[in-house]
Amino acid sequence: MGQNNKTQKPLVNSIDELFAFIDIHENKNISFHHHLRNGDGVINYVLNKYLQEEIMDLNLFPSSIFPAYTKILELIENHQINDITTNYCNGGVAKYISQHGLPGTLTMQTHGGRARSIQEGISKIDIAFIAAPYVNIYGDAIGYDGKSSFGSMGYAIVDSEYAKITVLVTDHLVENQIENPEILGSNVDYILKVDSIGDNTGIVSGTTEVTKNPIGVKIAKNTSKLLFELGLIKNGFSFQSGAGGVSLRVTKDLRDIMIRQNIKASFFSGGITKYHVEMLEEGLVETLYDVQCFDLEAVHSLKRNKNHVPISASMYANPVDPMQVIKDLDIVILGATEIDLNFNVNVTTDSHQTIIGGSGGHSDTASEAKVSVIVSPLLKGRLSVIKDRVTTITTLGKNIDCLVTERGIAINPLRQDLINKLKDSNLKICTIQELSELAYQYTNKPKDIIKRERIIGEIEDRTHDIIDYLYQK
Amino acid sequence: MSRSYLFIPGNTPNMVQNLDIFESDAVIIDFEDSVMSYDKDAARILIQNFLQKFPLQEGTIYIRINDVENSHFEADILATRDLKIAGYVLPKASVEAIDKLNQLSSGLSIIPIIESPIALLESKQIATSKNVIGLLFGAEDYTKEMGIERTLEAKELLYPRSHIAVVCRAYNIEAIDTPYTAKDDDAGLQQDAMNAKALGFTAKALIHPNQVDTINRIFAPSPEEILQAKRILKKSEELQKGAFSLDGKMIDLPIIEKAKKVLEKAQKYGL
Amino acid sequence: MKFTAGSLESSDCLITIAPSEDLVINIESVVFEQFGDDILRVISETLKLHKITKLNVLCQDKGALDYTIKSRLETAIKRMGEQS
Repeated sequence: MGQNNKTQKPLVNSIDELFAFIDIHENKNISFHHHLRNGDGVINYVLNKYLQEEIMDLNLFPSSIFPAYTKILELIENHQINDITTNYCNGGVAKYISQHGLPGTLTMQTHGGRARSIQEGISKIDIAFIAAPYVNIYGDAIGYDGKSSFGSMGYAIVDSEYAKITVLVTDHLVENQIENPEILGSNVDYILKVDSIGDNTGIVSGTTEVTKNPIGVKIAKNTSKLLFELGLIKNGFSFQSGAGGVSLRVTKDLRDIMIRQNIKASFFSGGITKYHVEMLEEGLVETLYDVQCFDLEAVHSLKRNKNHVPISASMYANPVDPMQVIKDLDIVILGATEIDLNFNVNVTTDSHQTIIGGSGGHSDTASEAKVSVIVSPLLKGRLSVIKDRVTTITTLGKNIDCLVTERGIAINPLRQDLINKLKDSNLKICTIQELSELAYQYTNKPKDIIKRERIIGEIEDRTHDIIDYLYQK
Repeated sequence: MSRSYLFIPGNTPNMVQNLDIFESDAVIIDFEDSVMSYDKDAARILIQNFLQKFPLQEGTIYIRINDVENSHFEADILATRDLKIAGYVLPKASVEAIDKLNQLSSGLSIIPIIESPIALLESKQIATSKNVIGLLFGAEDYTKEMGIERTLEAKELLYPRSHIAVVCRAYNIEAIDTPYTAKDDDAGLQQDAMNAKALGFTAKALIHPNQVDTINRIFAPSPEEILQAKRILKKSEELQKGAFSLDGKMIDLPIIEKAKKVLEKAQKYGL
Repeated sequence: MKFTAGSLESSDCLITIAPSEDLVINIESVVFEQFGDDILRVISETLKLHKITKLNVLCQDKGALDYTIKSRLETAIKRMGEQS
């Protein structure tokens, strides 16, 4: 009803057919989302065409880069890529750029910052290629139905709204109306029908299981104790955790506390897993705000639970979006490859300067949440997680409140309020300097091996500030 | 007074250097079953260097040396007797073995493992041997020697457990129950630990660090026990009498002593 | 004739020694850049402690702490001594 003004979108059946309508030589800024993660079949398919046509000076805007996106590496090696702007980068592309750099710049943004940049016209996207598992002939789309359903389409929505040309790539085209579409047909220009957009079992990354490692278990236990002692676990609280094993263990421990104490949370946000869904269906939380699904149970939940709500990256974490969900976030649990004496956190590079990730929502949630907690083993092999200065700043220290390790907890001196609340705690609270010294008692102090000669990229925070640079290995 | 005794494989640096993280009241560094025979020298040297470099450990450290028949018995003791340890856990214990250990070990505490029918029958003599501060029940070897199956329900362990608990109580030493070997089975662990406590065991040994919390909780005095102990001691101080009535029950000296012990434990465990 | 001690497990190191005309120390480590100097120092000091001036030493390190490197080397030396 009331859909009379919808027009059918032009339908093509191959990438070659698409470029009969679009000038492949003129539209060089192209974007993709990463919702199918390592199971994506669209990025390689589309980029193969650019490879074959030898299109030069491409600027890519993928929301993340996973190891499976091998065509990106081929394009780079063929000198066809200029700039890459993304929120996360791991695998062959990351290794290559760490060693060689790009002709242009690698700009690492945050999930919220990417949405903001696109909205404000700073990132100008010519073509947005959007893998969509369930599309109708009017160009409406949702992510949680169809044979390749991957759940929330959060990262693609802003692209569909602001790109010059929006192409939905689907393997499941229907004629019926779609209720509450995530992508609106009014923003879509073409539909590209393919046999398969990818393998949705690939959305499960290796880290979405609750940890059983005794050290991780202890860190999680101390984290939930800390949150409880800070008085944060109370009716109506809101919470977000990463998908790492320790973060999920914290979620599990919190669940036990909430059941015992009869506490209901207002919302969980971010990447959603079966553990979050379970708590929704147990009545322990009111709403799930989903920007991406980390497993298939979450995808199915989107379909059947009306309080499991898919949201765009802008509504999730754009600092200038009035609906920004995380502005009401009480607690976020995050990981780190490194943290320094000023509480700056690195999740972008490892200690050998290889790019292994990126902010994703790390800096966004740390900036907005009332309390941000980093969970990490103090020692990983012989390397302490605490450095004098992190290799790369992903999230600024002023936004990080606590570090929980198996050997002690450090609270940022900027948070005297939290320090005061923990005066009589049984938990081992120390300064980050003390924790660092403790680590060195075991390992000795490492030699500083970071090279800072050639800049190959920048870390752009959600405020548009460049907070650090990436240097060639 | 430890509630939990965590076994740590003595030749695994990753576990050894983290032995204080798991929050077990006591740790048993193992030179016996978890170390290959060709690496037992490596374990001795590793532990010597570790404890010399990091002598201050929270929590009590024991070493399970090899049994008296084993060629490594003497070397194990000579390598470790001057380190900062509380004592030794002695497998396949017998009165003679304890004697030999005492001759070599300069007065360190001993926890003999009762893991055979003969040792069970001798447990009174073992318990009263010099420097013995507790008995550890080893159900794996015990059931093997008895030629019986070990079950999760553990009916076959009822007699040896009761016997050991009685001997330990009679001679006022620690009674440490056998590890619960099923991994990731917290419900089963709880049941097993509560059964042991109900028989009079004061502690439980374990090999999985994730079991520490449950065991510490079960073998600690409960909040109700602590409250009751406080009330008993308060009234005892007020009345200055050896015997009095509380809640219609008779409270005499042994009960007052027990209350004192409960509060001592509660203090120690930070409850 | 080679003598070994330790393993390639995380936080351990595998030490392989052999009699030699000179002092030769080779170190392969997952944290070579950060701790290569420390590993060399521990090996040198341990050899000095045992008054060894000629030996071929290979250390394959997986993030072992000083006390572990010392221990594995001392164990290999002991095993070499028992052979003779």
